[in-house]
Amino acid sequence: MTDRQDLDRPPGNDILDGRFSRGGLLRGAAALGIGMSPLLAAACGGGSSSSTAASSSVGAPRRGGQLKLGFVGGGTAETVDPFIGVTPIDEGRIQNLYDPMVIVNPDLTTSPGLALEWNPNSDATVYEVKLRDGVTFHNGKSFGADDVIYSIQQMSKPANFGSYPFVSGIDVANMKAINKHLVRIPLKAPDGDLAANFTYYNTWMIPAGTTDFKHPIGTGPFAFESFTPGQQSVFKKNPNYWQTGKPYVDSLMITSITDPTARLNALLAGTIDGMAQLPFQEAKAHQATGDINVLVAPSPQAMMFYMDTQKAPFSDNRVRQAFRLIADRPALVEGAISGFGTVGNDTVGKGLPYYDTSLPQRVQDIDKAKSLLKAAGQSNLKVEFQTSDIFPGFVESATLFAQQAKAAGVTVNLKQEPANSYYNPSLLYLKMAFAETQWPMLSLKYFYLQALSTGAPYNETHFKSAAFNTALANAIGELDKTKAQDYWNQVQQIQYDQGGYLQWTNADWVDAVSKKVQGLKPHAAGALGNYLFMDAWLSA
Amino acid sequence: MSPVLAFLGRRLLGAFVALFVASIVIFAALNILPGDPASVILGRNATPQAHAVLTKRMQLDRPATTRYVDWLTGFVHGDLGVSAVSLAQGQHDTVWQQISGPLKNSAILAAIAAFFMIPLSIGLGVIGPIYPGKPIDHAISVLSLGAIALPEFVTGSLLIGVFFVALDWLPPVAIVPPGGNPLDNPSQLVLPVLTLLFASLAAGVRMVRAGMTEVLQTEYVQTARLNGVAERRVLSRYALRNALAPSVQVLAQNLQWLIGGIIITESVFAYPGIGTTLVNAVQNRDVTVVQSVAMLIAVVYVVLNLLADLVVMLLVPKLREPV
Repeated sequence: MTDRQDLDRPPGNDILDGRFSRGGLLRGAAALGIGMSPLLAAACGGGSSSSTAASSSVGAPRRGGQLKLGFVGGGTAETVDPFIGVTPIDEGRIQNLYDPMVIVNPDLTTSPGLALEWNPNSDATVYEVKLRDGVTFHNGKSFGADDVIYSIQQMSKPANFGSYPFVSGIDVANMKAINKHLVRIPLKAPDGDLAANFTYYNTWMIPAGTTDFKHPIGTGPFAFESFTPGQQSVFKKNPNYWQTGKPYVDSLMITSITDPTARLNALLAGTIDGMAQLPFQEAKAHQATGDINVLVAPSPQAMMFYMDTQKAPFSDNRVRQAFRLIADRPALVEGAISGFGTVGNDTVGKGLPYYDTSLPQRVQDIDKAKSLLKAAGQSNLKVEFQTSDIFPGFVESATLFAQQAKAAGVTVNLKQEPANSYYNPSLLYLKMAFAETQWPMLSLKYFYLQALSTGAPYNETHFKSAAFNTALANAIGELDKTKAQDYWNQVQQIQYDQGGYLQWTNADWVDAVSKKVQGLKPHAAGALGNYLFMDAWLSA
Repeated sequence: MSPVLAFLGRRLLGAFVALFVASIVIFAALNILPGDPASVILGRNATPQAHAVLTKRMQLDRPATTRYVDWLTGFVHGDLGVSAVSLAQGQHDTVWQQISGPLKNSAILAAIAAFFMIPLSIGLGVIGPIYPGKPIDHAISVLSLGAIALPEFVTGSLLIGVFFVALDWLPPVAIVPPGGNPLDNPSQLVLPVLTLLFASLAAGVRMVRAGMTEVLQTEYVQTARLNGVAERRVLSRYALRNALAPSVQVLAQNLQWLIGGIIITESVFAYPGIGTTLVNAVQNRDVTVVQSVAMLIAVVYVVLNLLADLVVMLLVPKLREPV
C-alpha cells in the first residue's frame, strides 16, 4: 500500500484541505454507518469505510474545548491495549493514543506514518524499513527501531489475538535495528506489500519495555489521562504531536453508551458531540430534519451470504452460481440496510488496491438460475438459511432473499440463531452450510489469507483449490505492481466463478455529530471519519 | 424461647438455605450457558492456540467443583474474585474494583426511588378506599393499572418523549463520570427515578388499596366508628396498621422489582450502574462478575424479605404472642 517514494509530508493535511477524492470506487449514496452490536463488533474487529464530513468548515479551525463522543460499549472488556482491541470503541481510543507505521487516507490510498520507506530485497523476503525521525512518545522518549522491534515481538504472541495474524509471516527472532531509524524485518515467505500489514489499529506502535496498559504511552495525538472500561475515558491533547498543529481540541472524552436510542438522545441533548453507529431509520429521519449532521461513509466493509463449498447442495458450483443469480442486490441494499451501501459483486474489497474492477456486475437472472439448478438436479430445492440479529441487516437481508428465491423455485427456510453463538466456533461458526457474515476490509491480502486460503482460520466457505492457493501466493509475493495485479485478478476470477460468497453489499458507516463539530471528513477506513479526532474542532 | 426469636431463627435458617441453593443454581447456569468467555472475547480471532492461552489464564481448565468451592468460600469472606475477562486480557482486576462504582450509582438511584415509593404507595393506596367510587379513586386505579402494563423501557421512552423531546425540560440521559457522584447533577436523575417509580409503584398502591378496603369493612372498624372514635383515628390507628401488614410483603417485593427494573432503566438512560455492568458482563461471558453480582442481588432479595417479616411482626402484635 505504501510506496517508497512517499514523502515526509504529514498525510492529514490532505484531509484538512479537502483534497481527497473518493474516486469511482466509492460511488453510491452517502449513508450512515452500520450499527453493530458490541458483541458482533467485537467479533469482527473494526472495519473500513469512508465517512462523509458532516460539516463544512467555516474559516480557520478553532482551538480548545473538549470533544465528547459516544460509542457502543464493550463493558469491562474494553481495552486500550492495541494488540487485543476488537470493538469500535477500542479502535476509537487506540487510534488516538498511538500511531500507525502506515496511514490510510480517506480514499484508501496510504501515506507514511511512523515508517517512511519500505525497501524490500529482490525476492521480497527481507525489508529494510526507514523510520520517521523526531517523533516522541507521551513520556518524552524518542521513537526508534527498538520500539518497532519490541512492538512486533509483542504482536506476534498468540495471546495478542488482534495483532497476531498481521505479523505471523515475520521472522520475529531475526529482526534487527540497523540504526536508530532503520530496522531490518526478515519474512518467512515472500510478501510484496508488507506495509499493508501495518495499517490496522491492532498493529500500532508502543514504546519498548511496555508491560501493561494501566497508563498507556503512545506517540498519538492524544495522551492518556483516565480510563474506566465500560464507562468512560479522557485523553488530553499531545502538545508535541509530530503532525504539527494538531489536535485542535484540548481533550477527548469517549463514553460507552450501548443503547442506540440513549446514544442518540445524548447527542440530541448535547451531552455528547458525536456518536458512532446511528441506526439506519434514525439516519434517514435526521437527514431529513437536519438537526444533527449525519456522517455517511461508503466503505468496502462486506456483508455477505456464504455457502459451504464442501456440503450438499452447495458442493455443486451450479447451485452456488444459481444462488448468486437469484439475489436482487439493489433490493437487498434498499430493503435490508435502508440504502446505506453499494451493491456487492461477490469479490470483496471494492476500492482497495488490487480490487478487480473489470469483472461485470452480477445482476439478478432468475431464468439462468433456474436452468443451472435444473442442470444440477436441484429444481424445487429446499435449504435452511441460518441468520442472526448480530448485525443490523442480517435478518432483513435473509428474509428478502428467501422471498426472492421463490421465483426460482427454491424454498429458503430461515432459522434465527442466537447472536452469541453465531461467531462462536465451538457452537455454530464455521459449521453452518448457508449463513451470513460481515467482514471489515483492510486489504485483499488480509481477507484472502484469513478467509479463503487453505488452512485459513475463518474459512467460512470451506473453499479448497490448489490453483487458487498458487495464485494467492503469487499475488502476495509479487513486488511488481502490474504483475501483482494480474495475479490478484486470477485470485478474484476464481472466487467470482466458483466461490461460496454471495456479497450483496459494501456497507456504509453511518454516524452522527452535532452541528458544532467541524473537520471530521468522510473516510473509507472507519467510522466517525476513521476516528481522526485530531482533525476535529468545535465551532463557537 | 420467645416466639419472636424462634420465628427469626427459622427465617434466618431458611435464608441461608435459599442463598446456598441460589449459589448452586447461579454457578450451574453460568457453566451451562453456551459460549465460554475465551470464545466470546476472541470472537472471530478464536484460533485454538489463542483459545488455549486464554482458557488457562482464566483458570477455566480447573474442575467445576473446585471453581465453585473457591468462589463460594471467597464470596463468604467478602472476596468476589477476579474478573475472567480481565484475566484473559493478561490483567488482574478484581470484581469489586469493577462493580463498586456502578454499585454505588445504582444504590443511590434505588434509594431515591424507594424514598418516594413507600410513602407514595401507602398514600395513594389509602386515598381510594376513603373515597370509594369517587373520581380520585378511579383515577388512581386506572393509572396504576396502566403503569403495571407498561415495561420500564416503554415508560422511560414515553417520559423522554414528553420531558425531553416535547418540552425540553429534562436531560434524556444520565451519564456519570467514573468516580463521580450522580447527585452532582440531580436533574439527570429525575426521569430515571420517575421511570422506576411508575413501574414499581402500581402494585403497591393496588395492594394497599385492597387491604384498606377490606379492613374498612371489618366489624372492629365499624364498632370503632359506632363508638364515636374520630374518623381520622379510625383510619390511622385501627385500619391502616392492619391493612399494612399484608402490604409490607408486597412493598418488599416492589423493592425487589425495583432492583430488576434498574437493569432496564439504566440501559434506557445510559446510567453507569450495576445493571449496565451486569448486562455487559453477561455479553462478555465474564462468569466471575455475573456470578458475584447475581449472588449479591440474591442476598439483597433475601435480606429485604427478612426485613419485611420483621416489620410485619412489629405491626401485628398477634404474631408476637405464643401460639
